[in-house]
Parts: sequence; C-alpha cells; structure tokens
Amino acid sequence: MNARGPWRLGWRRLRRDRWSFAALILLGLIVLACAFGGAIATDLLHHNGVDLYPYASNGNLRAVGPWTHVPDVTHEFIDSTGYIKAPPHGVKTTLFVFGADGPLGRDELIRLLDGGRASLEIGIFAAAFALAIGLVLGSVAGYFGGVVDAVIGRFTETIMAFPLMLFLVFASVHLSSAVRSIGWGWEVPSGAIGEAILIGAFTSFYPTRLVRVQLLTLKHADFVEAAEMVGASHARVLRKHLMPHLVPSLIVWAAIAVATNILLEVGLSFIGVGVQPSVPTWGSLLATTWGTFYAPQVFNSQAYTPWQTIFPTVAILLTVIALNQVSEGVRRALEPWARS
Amino acid sequence: MTRLLSFFVRRIVAGVFTVIAMLTIAFVMFWAIPSEPTVFVYTNAGQHLTNYQIRLAHHYLGIDKPKIDQYFHDVGHVLRFDFGREWEGGGFGNRIDSTGKLAPGLPIAPELYSGLRVTLSLILGGAFFVLLFAVPLGTFAGSRIGSLSDRTISLVALIGVCMHPMVLGLILRSTFGHHLHWTPQSGYCPLIKPHLPHVPVGITFPAGTSFHLCGGIIDWASHLALPWLTFALLFLALYIRMIRASVADTLHEDYVRTARAKGASEFRVLRRHVLPNASLRILTMIGMEISTAIGVSIYLETAFGLPGLASQAVQALAGNSTLDLPLVLAVVMLITLFVVVGNLVVDLLYAFVDPRAGRGPVHRGTKSAAGGVI
Repeated sequence: MNARGPWRLGWRRLRRDRWSFAALILLGLIVLACAFGGAIATDLLHHNGVDLYPYASNGNLRAVGPWTHVPDVTHEFIDSTGYIKAPPHGVKTTLFVFGADGPLGRDELIRLLDGGRASLEIGIFAAAFALAIGLVLGSVAGYFGGVVDAVIGRFTETIMAFPLMLFLVFASVHLSSAVRSIGWGWEVPSGAIGEAILIGAFTSFYPTRLVRVQLLTLKHADFVEAAEMVGASHARVLRKHLMPHLVPSLIVWAAIAVATNILLEVGLSFIGVGVQPSVPTWGSLLATTWGTFYAPQVFNSQAYTPWQTIFPTVAILLTVIALNQVSEGVRRALEPWARS
Repeated sequence: MTRLLSFFVRRIVAGVFTVIAMLTIAFVMFWAIPSEPTVFVYTNAGQHLTNYQIRLAHHYLGIDKPKIDQYFHDVGHVLRFDFGREWEGGGFGNRIDSTGKLAPGLPIAPELYSGLRVTLSLILGGAFFVLLFAVPLGTFAGSRIGSLSDRTISLVALIGVCMHPMVLGLILRSTFGHHLHWTPQSGYCPLIKPHLPHVPVGITFPAGTSFHLCGGIIDWASHLALPWLTFALLFLALYIRMIRASVADTLHEDYVRTARAKGASEFRVLRRHVLPNASLRILTMIGMEISTAIGVSIYLETAFGLPGLASQAVQALAGNSTLDLPLVLAVVMLITLFVVVGNLVVDLLYAFVDPRAGRGPVHRGTKSAAGGVI
C-alpha cells in the first residue's frame, strides 16, 4: 500500500465531511458566479450593470421589482408639456431578473454579480496581504525572539486595543489617496485594491500572533534542533521545517478572514469611505438602499424595495456561512487531533 | 494574594502604557499627514494668506513650538483628563485682520462625556441581553449536540452575524418604530432626568404647554430597546456557539458524572457544575470583543440616531479633511481607555470566578468571525 502524505489524507477527510464538502462546492459556485456571471448575464440579457434605464423606476423613483420587462431605451420620452410620457408602442423590452437597483434604474442582478466579484477580490486580496505581512513579522518575532519580538508584541497589542473600524475609517480618509486609483479595467474596479491593502494592513496582526505563538513552541522541537545540527540555515529551517506546520492554521484563519473582510467592506461602504458608490460591491449595493453614516435612510413606503436588501444580504450570508464551514472543515481535516 | 495583586499592578501598568502609546501614534499620525490647520483660524476657505497670517495662526493654535514640547504638553494634558478646547469654532471667522480678542474653540469634555454615557448604556445593556439570550440557548444546544433543535439554534443565530448591524438596525427601526409605533423612533434619553431649565420670572406660557423632558429609566430603556436587541442579535451567534462547545465538552468530565451519580438533578448539574466552567470562556470572549463592540456601536448609533462616542470618534477621525488635533487626542484617549478599563474589569471578574487566575499568562483565544462586523 502506498504511503499517503498528510495533504492527501486531509483531502480525503474533507471529502467525507458532508457539510464542509457541500460548503466547499457552494463556495466554488459563488466564486464562479461572481467571476463570470456578470459577463454571461450581460450577454444573455443584452444590457449591462452600468446602463441607466429611466423606465426602470416609476414617478416616485421606486425601482421596478424582480422579473420585470422594462422598455429597452436609455433616454426618456418627453411630451409637449415637458412631462415624461410612456414609451411608444413597439419599443422592445429587456428583462430585469432581480429588478432595478434604485432611482437610476440599473440591473440589480448584474450589479449583484459584479459587486460580488469586487467584494470577493477585496476579501481575498486583503487576506493574502495580511498573510504576507503576518508571516514575515510573525516569523521574525517568533523565531528570532528577543528585542524584536518584544517590540512587535507590544506594538501589536497596542494597535489591537483600538477599534479596527476606526483605524480603517481614518486610513481610508487620510491615507488612501495613494492607493485609491489602482485598478485594472472592469475586472478589478479602482478602489478595490486600495481598500484591500488597508484592510490587509490592519488585520495583519492576527496572523502575526498566530505565526509567532506557533513558532515559539515549535522552534524547540527535536526536528528543528536536528536540522540545525546538520547545518541548515535559518532560512531553510523556517521554509522547509517550520512553514508546513503553520499552513493548516493559516488556511483556517484565511477562510475566516475572507468572510470578515467582506463584512468589513460592507461597513466601510456604510460609513461612506469605501469604494466609489458607482462601483458595485455588496456593501455599496446595501448602502445605496440604506444610506450612509452621514445620511441613513429610514422607512419610506413610497420607495419600499425589500429585494434590494434581501439579495445582497443573502449573497453575503451564503458566502460567510460557506467560508466559516469550509474553515471548520479544513481544521477538522488537517488537524483531527485538535479539540473543537 | 500578593500574586494576584502584582498581576493587577502589571495589568494596570500595561494599560497605561497602551493609552500613552496610542496617544503617541495619534500625535505622530497627525503630523505625518500633510494638513494646514490655519483653516481653523481663517475660516474663509481658499483665501490667500500672508506669511505673517500663517505664523499668527500657528501661534494662536499653539503649534509654533518644537514638536517635542507640544507632544509633552498635549499628551500630558489629555492624560490628566484636561481635554481643553477644539480648534473648530475658534479663530477670526471672516474678520481676517481683526486685532480684537480671538474667539476660543468649543469645549471638548462635555460633549464627549455625554457621548460616553450613550455608548456605555448601549454596550452594557446590549451585553446584558446577549448573555440573557445566549446562556439558555447555548446550554440547551450544548446538551443536545447534533439534534434538530441544536442545528436550528446554530443556524438562526448565524444569520445575525451575516446581517450588517446598520441594515438590521434600520430594518428593526422601520418595522417597530415607524410602522408599528411600538418604540420611539430614534434618539437618546438620559437615565437621570435632567432638571427643568430655569424660567425667567414674568414669562408665561400658553395653557396646555407641557414641560415633559425626556429622561428617567423608562424613557431611557424604551429608547434603547431596539439598539439593545440589534446588538444582542449580532453577538448572539458567537456566544451561543462558544457556550454550546464549552457545555458539550464539560458534560463528559468525570465530576459531572460524579454529580449525576450523587443524584443531582439535570438543572443542578448544568447550573452548578457545567456553567461555571463556561463562564470563564465567556469572560475571555467579552474581553476580546470590547473594541469590536465599539465598532458595532458606530452603526447602531447611526441607525438609531444616538449621539454616542463611537460616531463622534468617526466624525473626529474622518469627518473633515483637516484633523482637529485636540479633539483627535481626546477621542483616542477615551476610546483606548474604554477598552483598557473594560479589559481590567474582565480580569477582575476573572479573578472572582476562577481561583487560579493570575498564576499564569492570561489565556487569549483567536479572534472570532464576528470580529469583522466591526
């Protein structure tokens, strides 16, 4: 019988864990839908998420509901007295599957899918950035110890005593002008990378602590001493002998961090310091409906559009639950000996 | 006892260090960001200022001294709770070359202290409701792991995590405040009823004028009922899951079996033998989540129109393109102190609950998923 590596064994355990494997598949579907769904829907429905359809909202600026056929015109017809009139007969209609996003009359479905891409990008980039910082700082602090460790530890503890959200709000307003404009076409909307860098920088303290604590116990292990004895350099010990032990806990952390970052993005949009409101993200979709820190919207029966809350919220809910369950499953699969 | 005492002395020293370090970071950040505080003195935006006018403004704001002097002066005064006055609201106004007396800025302390009372009411009351719901539900789920009711509780609680506090708060406010009129729609009422303002002799009011000032415990609680409920729903999932895990672990311990063997009722087993163990984890979690709670209260204060410290902090740190240094330092001081004192109180409670406290490093777990809501 062939020897199986820990990764193969872990994968087998993960596949046997029904709920976690289902969550993994759901997560894959969400990622695929967000990556390609917007483009496919644009192709099928013959309109995109940026075009403004004046007939997709009524005289009270109430957006049309889900599954509505909207006149396929991007300009209004004005009658002789200057009022907006109904479009003439024979104008083609186009289908708004999830309704419109507000007074401007953009397609909610396509904005939801495009917004999901931006939200996931922010979540994943930020987690990756935080991991990169955390690995470097944590390794230095945990492996070499001494004064550097004390300084990093004190600094981390100080920063963590202050609410993360206030740091992010402050940094978004005063520091982000440099990173705001980074973007790459429609795939990576401008502002997303800047926000990801800020979130990553201020959440990097958790992986730093995670790496440091594990290295503190691992660095006295016999296999490290053995490697040092045969002449391995510090870099080699860290890379070849210590890193593989960190990977499981970092994967677990990263999955939860992506979920957390998606929620942080929503929060930043609500304070009005996230990406530009015209760029769809799940946060900016919700903020379009409910207003921001400076102008919260309350109940307005004239423009009551529950689906604009329900669709982004369900999208966030499914993603966060799936990420949490995957993280739990990975932990159980790779570290079955650890207590729950 | 001496060990416990030295433990607390160390914690207090560490707390003071944290506050000073945060103030230093705030001071350095202020000077690292390019800003021109002269706008607080010459409120006419965009006008051309002469060199003399700029230096006069800097002298007036007290920023013409060496930075190190300013640091000790500003941080020293804030540490003594002497917050002084904002830069905002002072200055020449539109009278550019006025030689008259300059108007002083707005005093900081009264406004921040009233905000602190609001945020404290919100967070303490919310935490009470979290425990009120989470302890029974978590114990129930933990003693029936894997059952349908366990799964239902966990799933329903998880929904609270994924709803953003602002959305949840505005939905509750729209439903119960605006639509059903069960609760007041927004605003805050102080717990202690304020005195009627002094009415000058000779002024009469038309008959039927009521002088009802909002205040007292009933007004206070009814205005905060929805914010508390929202707060509780947000943090419920976390605490239910933790109590559930702790109860499920503890139920297999030998001393629980012993208690059952002695004929203790199931309720007594849970209350006397299982829950005290869970309370340690709850305390640890509360300590970690204090700064998260401040982040959440930004949204709750926004959604329910409460004039609290958290939203004041957002305005001070992000409201203007030019930062108001005295206000920023005061806000940073109060918020860091809030977290530090909260952690100290948790440690104190820990020492009461757990006789082993203070013998080793305080155990701190990893940050939870709901940390992101903040």
